[in-house]
Amino acid sequence: MEPDASSAAAAQNPNPNPSTGPPPISAYYQTRAEHHAVVSSDWLAHAAAAASLPPSSDAADADAASDAAALLSPGSNGGGGGVIEEFNFWRRKPEAAEAVAAIMALAAVIRSSRATTMMELEIELKKASDKLKSWDATSISLSAACDLFMRFVTRTSHLEHEKFDAAKSRLIERGEKFGEISLKARKTIAMLSQDFISDGCTILVHGYSRVVLEVLKLAASNRKLFRVLCTEGRPDRTGLRMSNELAALGIPVKALIDSAVAYSMDEVDMVFVGADGVVESGGIINMMGTYQIALVAHSMNKPVYVAAESYKFARLYPLDQKDMTPAHRPIDFGVPIPAGVEVETSARDYTPPQYLTLLLTDLGVLTPSVVSDELIQLYL
Amino acid sequence: MPDVQPLVSEFVLKLKRRKVEGSHAVARQTAELLRSVVSQHRMGSTNQAAALADAVRGVGEQLIAANPIELAVGNIVRRVLHIIKEEDISSTAVGIEGLSVTAESDDEYDSGNDDHPTLSAAVLAAHARNALRAPSLQTLLEDIPVSTALSRSASSAGDSDGKSGDKSSKSRKLKHDVIAAIGDLIDEIDTCYDQISEQAVEHIHQNEVILTLGRSRTVKEFLYAAKEKKRSFRVFVAEGAPRYKGHVLAKELVEKGVQTTVITDSAVFAMISRVNMVIVGAHAIMANGGVIAPVGMNMVALAAQRHAVPFVVVAGSHKLCPLYPHNPEVLLNELKSPSDLLDFGEFSSCMNFSTQDGTPLLNVVNPTFDYVPPKLVSLFITDTGGHSPSYMYRLIAEYYSADDLVVRRKSTSS
Repeated sequence: MEPDASSAAAAQNPNPNPSTGPPPISAYYQTRAEHHAVVSSDWLAHAAAAASLPPSSDAADADAASDAAALLSPGSNGGGGGVIEEFNFWRRKPEAAEAVAAIMALAAVIRSSRATTMMELEIELKKASDKLKSWDATSISLSAACDLFMRFVTRTSHLEHEKFDAAKSRLIERGEKFGEISLKARKTIAMLSQDFISDGCTILVHGYSRVVLEVLKLAASNRKLFRVLCTEGRPDRTGLRMSNELAALGIPVKALIDSAVAYSMDEVDMVFVGADGVVESGGIINMMGTYQIALVAHSMNKPVYVAAESYKFARLYPLDQKDMTPAHRPIDFGVPIPAGVEVETSARDYTPPQYLTLLLTDLGVLTPSVVSDELIQLYL
Repeated sequence: MPDVQPLVSEFVLKLKRRKVEGSHAVARQTAELLRSVVSQHRMGSTNQAAALADAVRGVGEQLIAANPIELAVGNIVRRVLHIIKEEDISSTAVGIEGLSVTAESDDEYDSGNDDHPTLSAAVLAAHARNALRAPSLQTLLEDIPVSTALSRSASSAGDSDGKSGDKSSKSRKLKHDVIAAIGDLIDEIDTCYDQISEQAVEHIHQNEVILTLGRSRTVKEFLYAAKEKKRSFRVFVAEGAPRYKGHVLAKELVEKGVQTTVITDSAVFAMISRVNMVIVGAHAIMANGGVIAPVGMNMVALAAQRHAVPFVVVAGSHKLCPLYPHNPEVLLNELKSPSDLLDFGEFSSCMNFSTQDGTPLLNVVNPTFDYVPPKLVSLFITDTGGHSPSYMYRLIAEYYSADDLVVRRKSTSS
């Protein structure tokens, strides 16, 4: 997986074991695996096998939904009711972000509502959105989208001047168009990002993000010459899926294990990450490992760009890592965990704004401090 | 408009030959040229605002291409485009609301009055606000998809123009308003020094030591204003090699009775521990709060940061550029003649092009600008007050329309 590391190790050790498999495992690594007897070399082989797998058809929607799906037992949504079923129906669609699913579900609530006044409709919507939010308290884009839609319903000035039926149908229409808005947001972000990618640069990406993929896709189709380093993205190996898709586009790509970020940061020109949510401080909440990548990049003076759609802006202000509803996930170490050892199972971390250079959103290129301004304008 | 073409080409030539010195002169002359472009423009019967904007865009494109480093040109072109859009929207809204023509001013629009009497006016005003403002979370779900807001508003303006009875007076009015607004813009560029130096006493205190690099007119006026208010302070002037404009500034300050010390650029770090505040001018302020400034400035900023000395940039709002710096050290820089550094006579033997591979052994690089990243700047003082680097985006959103970032003539309209 890591040719540079292995060749460096081989240079130190003049007589490494001649390895048989295609990715040569360095003597350094083998010694380490023997001594510690914790990390076996077979997960490396496992990872290599995962890298060569073709992308699964439902690959796209697994990303946004992954924490939720990992967290919830399949039976738990039985008593949820209409909104949640609707939400789950939309969530399964490929290319649909969780926010889109939430807004579709709320639009469906409006459609099936028997309310006759705006007030009744609002109350009904509020109930539905609370139900959605409590169904999965950990998802940031879900609650951000619910808030955004509620705000749209209660705040939009046009609605006050219209008849109830007209207002209702307008709401439904806007809700249903949200899927387009979401897709368009990704396109806008990709366009905006093009100026930041220059020929000959090396980009580090972490995990799998549809927005980042769109950005790199467009850059490749604009015939930019660049190289991508993909982190592995343990334990989901989402980074391997990312590298797979990039390689399919003909972009030179190298996969790294997550702990090789600092080692490789030297050759990186910029870091591109997506975000699960953008919080009021301008920081982001994203897949575990983003924080440490941002720290490493910051200390080596490399820019960190965040590509995120504006509907991920959430009214949260986490003060530290533990200040959010934790999203746990089962973590497979590949070997049995010794008895009495606790496992950190959080799926994401918070990156404070001072480690981010710019946010590339569909509202334009923003400095982290703009985020709070946008949120205040909307919710004040 | 063939009548303004000679004027345009003359200015383009001036820009190309670097005959216009300083972003203030550039901004002023650009605004004047655009004013004559607008006044010479023959108004059509429909879609006047769009046609006018297109004419400005056409000229603007030529001017920006003439000297892309002179960011003030692009800033002014974008400001004028924004003005046209604003005036068009306000005149349309006025027409529909049936208010008296003179009562409506830009300020009312900025304050966002929501209580329009009729539905159509309210909707129109909301659209107008959306079209003017950069896309935001608020407009994300609203009727007009953000990126098409421009074309929508342009066409709707055209339609409502068609409906209104007296086209000719209306078009004359739009043109007149735009010309008046550009006049205001020129005034604003001219008075920016006064506006900035008014704030001098708030920042320069008794017995302080100020450090500056090179010569900036804004800095000069700023220091003069503090002196006139009976502040006594000392100024260290780094000479600003290789053009040594610092010498000129030192002379000017001494004439006003300011205690002045001239130091070499390389002595900045040695002196910075004795300095209370660094006040410098800028060539341009970028959208992220970074600064394009005369060469040597990054060094001063780093020295100031090392000793926690406030690094203050004074600049008129015409220097505020809505673009993000991409590779600014290379793309937003200009290499000047080596004669500033070396005497040709003395070094001519080193610059012999007839050596083995045809390149001389001695090379001279003489860049004009430095890029100072936003984290090194403590405060910007513009004509609207003091702002932190992270606030620059807000000023930019006020002065420019989001869709004017790329000034390119639309090929479809005439």
